Amino acid sequence: MSNIRDFDGYKPTWCPGCGDWGIGAALKIAFSQLGFTPSSIVVVFGIGCSGNMNDFLNAYAVHSLHGRAIPNAIGVKLANHKLPVIVVAGDGDCYGEGGNHLIHAARGNHDITVIVHDNRVYGLTTGQVAPTAQKGFKSKSTPVGIIESPINPLSLALTQGATFVAQAFAGDTLHTIEIIKKAIEHKGFSIVNILQPCVTFNKVNTYDYYLKRLYKLTADYQADNYQIAIKKTTEMNEEKFPLGIIYQVRRPTYTEQLTQLNKNTLTEKERYLDFNLLFSDFV
Amino acid sequence: MIDFAWKIGGVAGFGIATSGLVFSKIAARLGYHTFDYLEYPSLIRGGHNAFECRVSDEKINHLSDKIDILVCLNKETFEKHQSRLTNKALIIYDEEEFSVEGQFVKIKVPFKKILNNLKGKLVMKNTIALGASLAILGGDIFPLEEIIEEQFRKKGEEVVKFNKRFAQEGYIFVKKNYPELIKNYLIQRGVNQKLVLSGNDSFSLASIIADCRLYCAYPMTPSSSVLTTLASWQEKTGIIVRHAEDEISVINTALGASFAGVRAAVGTSGGGFALMVESISFAGLAEIPIVIFLAQRPGPATGMPTWSEQGDLLFAVHAGHGEFPKIVLSPGDQEEMLQITMEAYNLADIYQTPVIILSDMFLSESHKSVEREFVEELIRNYQIDRGKIINKDHLENVGNQKYLRYQVTKDGISPRLIPGTPGYFYQANSYEHLEDSHTTEEAAPRKEQVEKRNRKITTYLKNHFHSPKIYQDLQKAEIVFVSWGSNKGAVLEAQKLLLKKGILTALIHFSYLYPLAKEKITSFFVPGKRYILVENNSWGQFGKLLLQEVGIELNEKILKYNGRPIWPEEIVDYVVNS
Repeated sequence: MSNIRDFDGYKPTWCPGCGDWGIGAALKIAFSQLGFTPSSIVVVFGIGCSGNMNDFLNAYAVHSLHGRAIPNAIGVKLANHKLPVIVVAGDGDCYGEGGNHLIHAARGNHDITVIVHDNRVYGLTTGQVAPTAQKGFKSKSTPVGIIESPINPLSLALTQGATFVAQAFAGDTLHTIEIIKKAIEHKGFSIVNILQPCVTFNKVNTYDYYLKRLYKLTADYQADNYQIAIKKTTEMNEEKFPLGIIYQVRRPTYTEQLTQLNKNTLTEKERYLDFNLLFSDFV
Repeated sequence: MIDFAWKIGGVAGFGIATSGLVFSKIAARLGYHTFDYLEYPSLIRGGHNAFECRVSDEKINHLSDKIDILVCLNKETFEKHQSRLTNKALIIYDEEEFSVEGQFVKIKVPFKKILNNLKGKLVMKNTIALGASLAILGGDIFPLEEIIEEQFRKKGEEVVKFNKRFAQEGYIFVKKNYPELIKNYLIQRGVNQKLVLSGNDSFSLASIIADCRLYCAYPMTPSSSVLTTLASWQEKTGIIVRHAEDEISVINTALGASFAGVRAAVGTSGGGFALMVESISFAGLAEIPIVIFLAQRPGPATGMPTWSEQGDLLFAVHAGHGEFPKIVLSPGDQEEMLQITMEAYNLADIYQTPVIILSDMFLSESHKSVEREFVEELIRNYQIDRGKIINKDHLENVGNQKYLRYQVTKDGISPRLIPGTPGYFYQANSYEHLEDSHTTEEAAPRKEQVEKRNRKITTYLKNHFHSPKIYQDLQKAEIVFVSWGSNKGAVLEAQKLLLKKGILTALIHFSYLYPLAKEKITSFFVPGKRYILVENNSWGQFGKLLLQEVGIELNEKILKYNGRPIWPEEIVDYVVNS
């Protein structure tokens, strides 16, 4: 275990009562329990209230563009697959603007951990709907209620090949720490959707709302059964929220399948110098 | 002097490009200089494909406007290209398939009969045609057999033998039936070995030489062959090639890898580049090195995917919101593509900013024979310069307790630490930031960082900007052409033709396009001289850039924008008739 305080950056500017506080604390505790230091990991942040954690958390980091944290993280991992790479993004960032990247990162089983702050609303732009907002949710951008149905991030990730799919609740820090740790330890693409009340712009999906509708998966739950997992994830559509590791299997990661990386990371490899071998393509 | 043009045409999807390239390679193996060009529609099957190769015993920079040998695998080939035939042109075709009118020298090769007798596939018509072509040009069949062997070796001796027979049939038929027409155009010359390189090949090769370790792309004509070439070299060289889901992911994957410490590049054409633009701005602010290969094709929108234009210059120069340093380079030919690409990786690292290499379909897909010795010398002289990358020891030696990723410096360049270095951390921040990389919205540090980034431009102009190259005597010239990028070859050839007519010209050719160092350029422009801007677009985009950056306005222009590259003769015609 390393020192949690080493990860302390600036004092957060999140609203009092925001779920981000719980997630921010859980991340730092998980990192320190895993023995990480700010120098031994890379965290890639999206844009949003969650992404603002870039200044509150000490680590090698990229504060990316909106929606683009996942491809940045994939690039870091390809270059140096020995570094743990964690994405911290919001629902708008990861399921809206960058939705395509999520699908393909899952397909590729890229060994990165995606932590999604799912508050079902855009906080930083002061209250417009997110892709996870419930149908009919009234917001500044949908004054008569959103027409679309919400995206189901867990089903989406699962069906696109994610090998670790989990859900946590920002109000339960201890449980969230455990889930984050297991997600990071998982070899392959892992996603943790964290239900997070926005106390300022979402008066529907409150702490109370979630406490009434969430439950933890029991010890006998079989996380390696795809069919059961699919069913579990679809409970979200009926406003039931399972917490825990919904699905986990071990499959070769993207970098494990790159023979170039058998011996070294890309950063460590020797420069290729046998150019004569390449010339033969051109004579 | 040997200087002739051979052209082959047929239905798309039947190996025209492949057999055309084989012809170029044979000519190069025999010691000749080659320059080739493929015309093809944006279709896999059904359209018309044509490939032409100019062969010479002297250095050449472009195609020839006349065709000396035309191989017609279908009637359309003859109809489409007969206007360019010389009056002594040789036409190779099968009279069983169609007839050819006019006073040309006709070489009637029974393609159909040979195919039927040997039970060959339709693509093997090309092999017969290559055999026939070599025979009529007076070449040996050996280099063709050698290439067939290299191509099919993996499939076994039987397949090699089988394919060779088509070459032999074509070769022997012509030798036997047209002995009096055989030329001596392809006699082996004992000179230096050559590499037959397209612009895309040159970029790919130079990327490996420069130790690029990650290349990411989404297929887009005419940049796609960089993706496939580098992908095919992964095992050999250890480079990682990612074909990502879209161009936004492409550039952000590369930026992630670059941040983590490896040289990274992306390649695309106009539409894909448009998707990357926000991230180019990100690279500018977060100061992440990246090389972007932009192979232009005629736009706007989907435009004409398989044709050529220089329509994206101003877009590339201005790509990205906000103000940040960016370097735009545009090689004039395959040799410059090698040289400039290798330099581009150094510049990206030195200035920690995006470097764009502008190519176009004509340069990207045409092959030119390049002296192997030239490439080897480039490699010998190349020094990898990763700029101000520092390590832990360095930081400890200077007693720097706190590492400042965006340290304000005189030259605008801040020391760069590779993530993972123990004891330190920082962020590549897409928000405006303080020296220590934390986000800021304060006025003073904002101003400081803007000025720091801008100073990189001044440093570049002082240390690495290359003045345009001058071809022929600027003082004596009555006409001075001003051009950039792939037009170089057309202008150089036009200069030769004009000289024969007694017209003295010079060329000011720009490869380092942006930013431009005013004081290193203005002296080339003197009052009273006749300057002609030559560009492959309709706006004269470089002319606008020259006016904007240097204050020089060129009023006389040769602009071509029908999707085809500029031909030397078009420049000559303009000069003679104006």
